[in-house]
Formats: sequence, structure tokens, C-alpha cells
Amino acid sequence: MGWRWLSRMRTALYLLAALAVMSIIATAVPQEPNVPSTVAAWRAGEEGPGVLVSQALDAIGAYDVYGSGLFLAVLLALYISLTACLIPRIKAWVRLVRHSRPPVVRHLGAQNASETFTTESRPEVVHDRAQEVLERRRWRLRRHDDEEGDKRPAQVAAEKGLWAREGGSLIFHLSFYVLLAAIVAGQLLTFEGQRGLVEGDAGFRDTAVSYWSYNPGRFFGEGDHDGWRLELERFHVDWIRDPLAPGAGQPTEFRSEVRVTPAEGEPFDAVIDSNRPLNVDGTRITQLDWGYAPRVVVEVDGEVVHDTFLTPTLATGGFFRGAVKAPAADPDLGLDIFLYPFAPDDEDGTPIPTGAPWADAPLLVFEQYRGDLRLGATQQTINQLDTDALESEGFAALRLGQSIEIGDATITFPELRHWVGYQVSSRPQVPFLLLAAAMLLGGLLASLYAYRRRLWVLATVDEVTGRTLVTVAGRAFQRPEAFEQELEDVVEELSEATGGQWQRPAGRPGDRDDPFPPSARPPAAPPAERSDRSDRTEVATR
Amino acid sequence: MSQDQLAELSRLLYSPTTLLLYISAAFVYLYALTTTVGRREERERGVRARRVGGVLAVLGITAHVAHEIARGLAQDRLPLGNMFEVTSLMALVGVVVGLSYLQFSRRRPELNGFVLLGGSLVLSMAMLMYSEPGPLMPILDTWWRPFHVSLLVGAMGIFAAAFVFNSLYLLRDTAERAVAAERSRPGSGSTVGAAYIGDVADGGSAGTQVDADAADAGPEAGQHDGDGDHDPDEEQERTELLAYHAALRRGVPAVKLAVGTFLGTALVSWVWLVSADTLAAGMTRFLTVNLTMVAAALIARWFVPFLPSTATMDGLAHRTTAFAFVMWTVGVIAGAMWAEVSWGRFWGWDPKETGSFLTWIAYAGYLHARATRGVKGRGAAWIGVAAFIVLMGTYLIANYVIVGLHSYADL
Repeated sequence: MGWRWLSRMRTALYLLAALAVMSIIATAVPQEPNVPSTVAAWRAGEEGPGVLVSQALDAIGAYDVYGSGLFLAVLLALYISLTACLIPRIKAWVRLVRHSRPPVVRHLGAQNASETFTTESRPEVVHDRAQEVLERRRWRLRRHDDEEGDKRPAQVAAEKGLWAREGGSLIFHLSFYVLLAAIVAGQLLTFEGQRGLVEGDAGFRDTAVSYWSYNPGRFFGEGDHDGWRLELERFHVDWIRDPLAPGAGQPTEFRSEVRVTPAEGEPFDAVIDSNRPLNVDGTRITQLDWGYAPRVVVEVDGEVVHDTFLTPTLATGGFFRGAVKAPAADPDLGLDIFLYPFAPDDEDGTPIPTGAPWADAPLLVFEQYRGDLRLGATQQTINQLDTDALESEGFAALRLGQSIEIGDATITFPELRHWVGYQVSSRPQVPFLLLAAAMLLGGLLASLYAYRRRLWVLATVDEVTGRTLVTVAGRAFQRPEAFEQELEDVVEELSEATGGQWQRPAGRPGDRDDPFPPSARPPAAPPAERSDRSDRTEVATR
Repeated sequence: MSQDQLAELSRLLYSPTTLLLYISAAFVYLYALTTTVGRREERERGVRARRVGGVLAVLGITAHVAHEIARGLAQDRLPLGNMFEVTSLMALVGVVVGLSYLQFSRRRPELNGFVLLGGSLVLSMAMLMYSEPGPLMPILDTWWRPFHVSLLVGAMGIFAAAFVFNSLYLLRDTAERAVAAERSRPGSGSTVGAAYIGDVADGGSAGTQVDADAADAGPEAGQHDGDGDHDPDEEQERTELLAYHAALRRGVPAVKLAVGTFLGTALVSWVWLVSADTLAAGMTRFLTVNLTMVAAALIARWFVPFLPSTATMDGLAHRTTAFAFVMWTVGVIAGAMWAEVSWGRFWGWDPKETGSFLTWIAYAGYLHARATRGVKGRGAAWIGVAAFIVLMGTYLIANYVIVGLHSYADL
């Protein structure tokens, strides 16, 4: 254990595997921050594998994997391991960048690729031209001229791609720190709140108290709210209504027309779409949820005890479930609401509830309760009644505009609108996330496709013919096939610049008209496609 | 043409047209591969066969593209909205990119057959998830979708091609090792493939050229074949070569390969077992997929002697994986950006997000293993195969088993 253990590649792989296993667990087991109701159902044994397993899952923190200490510990270990691995690599890279010069060679030896040609130009001229050509191609150069007592021949040594590959890999790895910093900063500085609005109501102002649910980051104060106002003017929702059409019942539109009053400035109208959130002073407003908002008026003994739009949510079965809570009545009055948007009458005039979501024949079904609503005494959501201390007074169904009397209460259903749930979030970390993504991608590309290579240009006078023999040879540390092409380009340019005679090798083996595959070649044979050019290499290295 | 007719047309273009064209092109190419060891006239037949295969493949791709267009017109949107469409496009991208890469970039057209075979498999898999054309949910109706989805689908297709190369590498390598082991066993007396073995032990990259070049030296070297009257040397060489081929095939135990493929496929295909409505339906899908994969593996085994060198396939697998990995990364980042806009958070460990993360980790592991010297050859190839299992597993699980925010797929 210890530092050396942490800096090992193998350790990083184990840690990554642990991370992967955890994310699999988190996919298989419902996560409390995402679906608290499902987790509650698992804990109670109503769903999932049972109470016993559930307790075991709780004990290992499987209901909140990403918030568990183990997850954070693995993540921390991974980052330490990454740091331990990167520090020496960065040091080595800096050394490389500062000190590396292409080496001058005594003889070329065996290289990956090599080309020769002859020219009338003098060797010095060839070397000058080579320098120009290579400089234009952004190689790093080192010129070596003949010196007394130096056995190394005059040459131009060049190197390229030395920093890019390793540098790209380093940037790729460093992007994870930016990512982490952005996420941590996000946890501290963001704010996220949810609020529902009914069409045409007074809207709400961006203050800490006006949200239905409110999750500020640690460093997000109440004073950080901008104080704009949002009103929902109209909400558009539609579906494919033809039951025989492909995709029948699928929604086709979710769109809010809203009116925004910024903290400073004139009010303006805007549209919020599923993929087009609204930005107000750097705060983003996204559509999250929607439902029908029936207005339900309850009168008891001629006195109005409840007159608001409800915000019921869609339940399985195609109806919207909500509740009326009227503590002003004596005793308390509660209505358990089931809103069927499309429940047309059959021939006898009996409403038939369907699962269709369009409000062409809305039917408000409810069960009336009297007793104690236990408001404040128990935890309950606005759409749910706590019926423990309530007594049912029976069911009733209302069409839009109808009203009904049950006991001393009169229930009226005068109006139906939509309500939309908005998520409001302030996310200052987003630019840093983008930076991390750009680093990751750029670094990845460089580390995969940049390649380090060296080449040498050697021009000598051929004693026999008196012409200058030019050899260009080199090797690539990665991607040799790309290098061959590059070397040929360099040679072509150089021979043109020096009036030399050189012809590009007549195609690769695959270029042949009749490309018989080398597939039946014995396993250990050297690649045959090189054989036609190996003679040339020998000339070059002689 | 009405939308219904277009839908009908797109279905016919897909199956049987595209499917049959791909499969027949694959088999013609594979046949062409077997002629490379034969006599001159046999090889000429091979060249002709390859031309036929090329025509069939191009026709198949044309039909496939036409299917995508017809389907797009029939539903008035890009065909990238559900599992069938995504899988079908994955096959198209895999085939087009794989073939162009082999044909024009790497100049290894003899491997086309395997890419087409892989494409046919993915195409038939898509048939298991067929759904009629239909419109999209509004949240999907944005330019983010084609961008995000097509990148990931393209990457999946190329990962599939890389998987083919990795599998072929493992087959060939196993066969070569077995032959080498048989040779070196003292007292075995086997001379099978003696001329072909060279020095396999050090990875097959070094070694000496043996003189039995008749098989691969191309037309120039083959000219002394004459007009069909064969001299005894020629016959002798041919016999030796065939014996070597047989030994290579023996090197991959068929039963072991079949069982291994079945179990390996089962690592992914169990999803159909658990997600189907009835056990019988699930079992049918499960067995169909598994047995098809076993058949493909056995076909590939028969072609082991005709495969190019292990180094070639290793390189192909690496380059394709690297390319697809970049695509995958861009696709995931694009998805995160879309999620940030549409859902108000860039990452939420939704099943598909987790799946894409796991796949990314797996392929990063492959590239890392290759880059940091530790693992090469077989080790890397196995990691590549495992990564593909992760890819297909998370793809199916996130679509069939676990419901998440990405569950738009019309099953």
C-alpha cells in the first residue's frame, strides 16, 4: 500500500472497476435522491425484493450510491491515483519539451522508411533546401555540418509530434480535474427550485419562499435571487388523437407562453419548449411537469370554504389525481379528486372514462370526506389526503360547469385550465463543464492521432558519378503507415526543390489490379508488401 | 405515394431485400477468400467472385439507404427514434464505414466478407425489435437528437466492426499457437505446416520468409502455373498448404468455440429471456440470437486459414476502436449538453447514461491497455471483446429491463 501502490496503473483499473460496479448497483436499485417514493415502497416491502433485502441494501448504502461515503472514497482514491500517475509524467514531459533535440546520427541504420534520389545540386544546397522544406512543414530541426574529426556526416535531423501525443494525453487526464472542480463548484453555487403555475394566475416572483421545492447550494444565499416574475399565459399540449394512426396517443406538443418581468426592465413575452428553456438573468427555467387544473369551489352552508385551481398530477390509468383540503369548513372537508380528461357519455348518458389525455369531455370524480384533515400533524403532499381521521360521505361525478350538493356542502366545477411545473435553476458551472469537455476531446484526439517521428536528410557526393546522392530516412514511434506517406511527400518536395530525380513508388500492394490477398501467407513471414521496396532501403542504408 | 405505401416499401426494402443482399455478398466474399490458395484458374474465379460480392454489397447498401429514406418519408422524420431504427442504422454505418475502410484505406478487400457478415447479424437483430413507422415525442424533436444519436449509433456500428476484427484475431492467433505447439511437441512427428510456422512464439511479427510462396505472391509469381498441367513440386506444395490449413482449423476446437460463443452471447442475450412477455417468446429470441452467433463463429472458424496476419487484424481492431471511441466521446458529451438544456442537468446516472459511461470506461480500458505496453495481442483483444459485451449488454438492459428518462424506445 501507500503512494507507490496508488500510482500504479493496476490500482487505477481496480478503482475504475469498483466505480463501474457501483454504478451498476445504482442502476439496478432505485436511488433515493431520484425516486424517493419507489425507495420508500422498497423499504416498506410493498415493491422490490422484500423488507429483509431492503434492510441489507440500506446497510450498505445502496439506496444512495452516489452520495455514499464509499463512492466518495473510491472517487477520491481515483483522483489521488491519477495525480500520483500524472506528476512524474508531467515532469518528464516538461523535460522532454525543454531539452529534446533531434539526434545527429553516424549512420542511418535500419529505419521504418527510407527513400533515395540523386541530384546535381551540391550537398550543402540540398541540406539548405531540406531545412526550408521541413521548416515549412513545422519540423524541429538540427543542422549538422562536416567537422574535422567528427565521424558523423553532414545532415539535417528533424523531429515532429514529440509533444503532441503525450501532451494530448496529459490534457485529457487533466480535464478530469476541471470536471471535478466544476461539479464541486456546482454543488456549492447552484440553486434549483420547482414551482407550478396555473394558466392565467398571478404567477410567482423569484424569491426563496415562493418555490414549492427549494434546493440551494451551500453558498447560494437568499439574496442571490434576482427577483423576476413569471406568469403562465397559455399552455399548449396536444397528442396524436387518431387511434389508428402510427404512434397513437403520443404527445406532439408541450409549449408554454409566458410573460416575464425582469427585476429591472420591461416585461416581455416568451415561449418555453421541451428543448428550449428560458433564460432570465442567467437563471434557467425549464418545463418539468404539467397537468389539468380544475377550479373547484366548495360552499358549506352558503359560505365559500375553498375556491382555487388544483394541480393534480397524472396517475397510471390516465386520470389526474389531486385533493381539495378545506379546513375552513367545520368539521374539515376533504375531497379526493380523480379527473378524467376524456370520459364521453355512452348511449345511456353514462360517462365512460377512457385513458385518453385530451380534455374533450372532462369528468371530475371525487370522494367527499369530513373529519380531521390532520394538516400540519402528518406529512402529506398537496395532492394527497390523510384519510385516517376522515369519514367518507360518498362519491360524486361532475361535468364541467355542474355542481352537486352532498350533505351541507355544495361542490362546483366551473372551470378547467392547465398547470405547468417549472424547474428554475442557476448553474454557473456550465462554462467550466464545457471547458472540461473541450479539454477531454482535444486531448483525446491528440493522444490518439498525433505521432512522434524523426527523420534525417543525408546528402553525399557519389564518387563514381559525381552526382549528389540524397537519402531521406526516418521512423515513426506510432502510426508507421501514416509516416510513410508523409516521408514520401517530404521527399517529393525536396527532390523538386533540388532538381532531383525521384519517383513515387508505384503504388502499394493493394493498388494492384489483381489484389490477391496475402491471407494465405505463412504467419511468420515478413510482410510481402515491403519486399518490393526493401532493396531500396538497403541502398539507402549502405 | 401514400405514407402507408411508403411504410410498406421501406419494410420490403429492409427485409428481405437488404438482408438477403448483405448475406449473399458476405458469402460471395467469403468464397473468394477460399480461392486464394488455389490454382490460377481458381484464383481468377475468386477475383470474379469478389467483383460479384462488391456489386451485391453496393446493391445492399443502396437498398438499405433507400429503406432509411422511405421510412423517413413515411413518418416524416429522421429514422432514429426507436430501437429498431437505431440498430438498423448501426448496421448501415458499420457496413459502409467498415467496407470503405477496408477497401480504400487499408486495402484489405478480402476481409469485406466478415464485415458484411457482422452487418447481416446486426440487421437480423434489428428485426427482433421491428416497429412500424411513427412520429416522435416532442422532446425528441430537436436538432440535438440526430446529432447525439447518430454519433452514438455510428460509434456502435464501428465498435461492432472492431469486435469482428478482435474475434478474428483471437481465432487466428489461437490456431497459429496450436499449430506451433503441435510442431514443438517432442516426438510428435508432425511436419504439418512446417514450412509455414517460422517463429510464431515471438508474436508472429519476426521470422524468416519461407520459399513456399505460391499461395500469396500474387499473379506474377503464379505465372509458372502454366495452363493447368501441374508439376509434382506444385502438387506437393499444395498438399502441404492444405494440410497446414487443416491443422489451423484443428487448432480451434469447434466444440469449445461453439460453447464459448453460446455462453459469451448469453452474457448479453439473457435480457430477452427476462424481458419477454412469455418464457417461450423469450426463449425463442434468446436461442435465435445465440445460435446465430454460434453459427457465425463456426463459419469464421472454417475461414481461419484464409485470414490475414494477426498483426493486420490487431491493427484494424485498434484503429477502428480508437476512431469509434472518439465518436462515442463526442456523442456522450453532446448527450450531456442536450440533457443540460432539456432536463436541467448534464448528468443524472440515468440507466442509459450509466450504460454509456460503462461502455466508455471499457473501451478506455482497451485503449489504455494498448497504449501502456502492459497488454498486447490476445490480452487487448479479449478486453476489446469484453468491451463490446458491455456495450451490447448496457444497450439492451437500458432499453428492455430498466425504465429511465431515455425510455422512448418503442419496443
